[in-house]
Amino acid sequence: MRFNLLHVRTVQLHRGLTTMLVLAAALGFSAGCGGDGREPLLVYTPHGRDQLQLLEQAFEAQEPGIDLRWLDMGSQEILDRLRFERQNTQADVWFGGPSTIFDRGIEDSLLVPYRPAWAGAVGPEGIAPGDLYYPAYRTPAVIAYNNTALSADEVPHDWDEVLDGQWAGKILIRDPMASGTMRAIWGLIIQRSLRITGDTAAAMDWLRRLDAHTKTYTLNPAILVEKLSRQEGLLTVWGLQDILFFRSQGAPFGYVFPRSGTVVIEDAVGLVRGARHPEAAKRFIDFVGSREAQLLAARGVFRLPARHDLPLDSVPDWVSEVEQNMIVAPMDWEMLAREGPGWMSYWDQRVRGTGKTLDADPR
Amino acid sequence: MRQRRRQMLGWALVALLVWLIVYPLTLVLLESVRGADGWTTEFFRQFASRKNEWSALWGSLWISAASVFLAGTIGIPLAFLFARFDFPGRRILSGLVALPAVLPPLVGVIAFLFLYGESGFVSHLVRAVFRLDRPPWRLEGAGAILLVHAYSMYVYFYLFTRAGLARVDGSLLEAAASLGAGRWRTTREVVLPLLRPALTGAALLTFMTSLASFSAPYIFGGGFRVMTTQIVSTRLNGDYSLAMVETAALAALALIGFWVFGRGDRGDVLVATAKGAAPIARRFSSRWTRALTGTAAWVLAVVLLLPHLTLVLVSFVPVGTWTIEAIPPEYSVQNYVALVREPERLRPLLNSLGMATVATLAAVALALAAGILIVRQRVRARGVIETLLALPWAVPGTVFAIAIATAFSVSHPWAGRFLLVGTFWILPLAYLVRSLPITGRGIVAGFRQLDPSLEEAAATLGAGAWRTLVRVTLPLLRPALAAAATLAFVTALGDFVTSIVLYTYDTRPISLEILASLRQSDVGVAAAYGVFLMLASAVVFAVGGERREVGA
Repeated sequence: MRFNLLHVRTVQLHRGLTTMLVLAAALGFSAGCGGDGREPLLVYTPHGRDQLQLLEQAFEAQEPGIDLRWLDMGSQEILDRLRFERQNTQADVWFGGPSTIFDRGIEDSLLVPYRPAWAGAVGPEGIAPGDLYYPAYRTPAVIAYNNTALSADEVPHDWDEVLDGQWAGKILIRDPMASGTMRAIWGLIIQRSLRITGDTAAAMDWLRRLDAHTKTYTLNPAILVEKLSRQEGLLTVWGLQDILFFRSQGAPFGYVFPRSGTVVIEDAVGLVRGARHPEAAKRFIDFVGSREAQLLAARGVFRLPARHDLPLDSVPDWVSEVEQNMIVAPMDWEMLAREGPGWMSYWDQRVRGTGKTLDADPR
Repeated sequence: MRQRRRQMLGWALVALLVWLIVYPLTLVLLESVRGADGWTTEFFRQFASRKNEWSALWGSLWISAASVFLAGTIGIPLAFLFARFDFPGRRILSGLVALPAVLPPLVGVIAFLFLYGESGFVSHLVRAVFRLDRPPWRLEGAGAILLVHAYSMYVYFYLFTRAGLARVDGSLLEAAASLGAGRWRTTREVVLPLLRPALTGAALLTFMTSLASFSAPYIFGGGFRVMTTQIVSTRLNGDYSLAMVETAALAALALIGFWVFGRGDRGDVLVATAKGAAPIARRFSSRWTRALTGTAAWVLAVVLLLPHLTLVLVSFVPVGTWTIEAIPPEYSVQNYVALVREPERLRPLLNSLGMATVATLAAVALALAAGILIVRQRVRARGVIETLLALPWAVPGTVFAIAIATAFSVSHPWAGRFLLVGTFWILPLAYLVRSLPITGRGIVAGFRQLDPSLEEAAATLGAGAWRTLVRVTLPLLRPALAAAATLAFVTALGDFVTSIVLYTYDTRPISLEILASLRQSDVGVAAAYGVFLMLASAVVFAVGGERREVGA
């Protein structure tokens, strides 16, 4: 018994030592970076790692005095953080996310005006009143499909064709409650109905028929990509950038632009109120919209530049193709910001999951 | 005088827990009654009038209750099997059985998709065997969530029951046997009552974990509504106040669960040991039974390991190469190369290990203090302390993270608010608070099964309070301590819901790397990180398990 206790204490001692070593290592690592004399610039962003690394390298080469540090997270988390850090701001730049989420940030006074050097080369869509944010990229919504299972001429070429009976049970939808892109598409459908009938009822009916054909709503985008490439569903509506990016990684995806026009989501960038490094932040914002950085993001990670003054011979082929084929539908973004939550909440309560009963209805 | 000091200490602990848990939560939950102009109950009325809110609440409730039932049905018999019977491979298997606990969240759940999903391995196998032309099932909705819950949560029952069984004195069983009680009757009337604290602890933990579970409904939910995913959607819709009402409703549900499961064992001290040790594992008399049990146990172990193996397999699949084939057509180590190519990618792993260690040590110390005050000193505040310890899991991780961040984002020392946002300490603090339910429950249950007469004997022999604690109480508590600390550590290591809201540039945890990879649909790289996480957790488990064997 005595021996046993002694043994245990040795084990505990060992474990304690290991723990302290691990701790020391962790702390040492955290302390080890940072103090290299450069000005740290903190960027909150929902963009992917590939894009951020690409831009970081180019930016730091251009600005040797600045250490660009990014924290990647979802758009909602950025908003949450900026809200609770208001009295003790950490971030300098908010880079990325649909302009609709930036609008919510404006309601909470999370941004300050900054007019980037490239302000004249973008817009007018996606520019906040009072220069609070500017569009860096555009994300058009497209009809995407699995191109091993379907060929380009088989697939629907407009929104209404998606409702065709042959697609029943083959459509995957990213949960629109959890995605800015999907909300914008829903907004497009609803505003179209408002324009034609003056009422949202027709749109809700349309969405109910889509619900009837929807195999599943996925909350997580990675699962959507996985399911579409494994042919668990053949068709979806989604942002162009993701489709092109995953296609370049080997996913069997194809896309078409809806004939009657699509919605284009402006992906914004803005200066955070109370930023500790405002000058470095402004330099970064200027950099993001520079010709060089716009082309870098377009070539490397399929970001559609927000600038329209890029020389045609310098943009990658896919960009000129998109500019040629894309038809932009009219969209009232202010109305979407105002009415959107109500529409979505109605859809979530009254439309989602009710499509199946519609099929049984002889009407 | 001593009595007075004791009560003071009790209230001091209450104050500490209120400051860490209730205070931050109150700050954010106030949003549920604050309208554009003054106080309002409007959001509560909105909540009550919506059918889908009620269906989400009901979904959370029944899924959690069913998870408790399923996890108990699997975990308790397994614990008995491994504690009481001897068969070939028992030692290795008893370790393997705890492995679901090391399956990292999110990417571990995605492994389920590759395994049991519509186009997963098992589905392909069933299709090939029965020559079906369409997938036999869809891994979606309530059934899929329950599958994942039962798989990952039976470990609570298993570990708690085993720790409990290790504390059951063999002489009690012999006494029962010599009084003529059969094996079944002894189990029912001697062992189960002794196990009650462990079982209610595990049931409570399972219930709370299922209520707060996010990964499983997030990935497999389909259209099935539970409160955790509902809260995320509501926040995304910009209805912060309504989201807070939903959070309050979920917390209320958790408190009801706490009251139901926590009733009965409050304040009891169950003397389980006077002398002697746990009974020796029995060998089956018949060779056939032995062989059969052994085989069944090995089959079970393989089934339990399948998700881990899937994760390992996926980590070797290059991105975009595996689509409709039954098994991946290509393998390479490129995902691992991507992971070690930059030394920057190693840092998150070290960060996570460091922060999880700090949090676990602090949580265990707090839980020990709580155990002493609740069970030994029986302070008047014991009921309050227990409720407070369980509270953090009543609240979804995101909301809790926001609550902690809100409370500690300003420096108002007189209001108990210090500046922690943006520093190293905010994440360990969040991990600590989030792991209090596990460590608290496990260690308090351990204390309840500890015979006070041993400590009294030590005191009589002249040992001071400190010496008694270190030389008698802690060694006796070792199984409970190891189980609680291990679970807390592994949970902190894999946490992503809290981390994503609170991490800083210098404290980027490994779960963020997993999320970043998933965002680019680099499932392979995410799986490679998952494998790292799994190995780290397995090592901790092995250390904890080894010491548990010594204790038994």
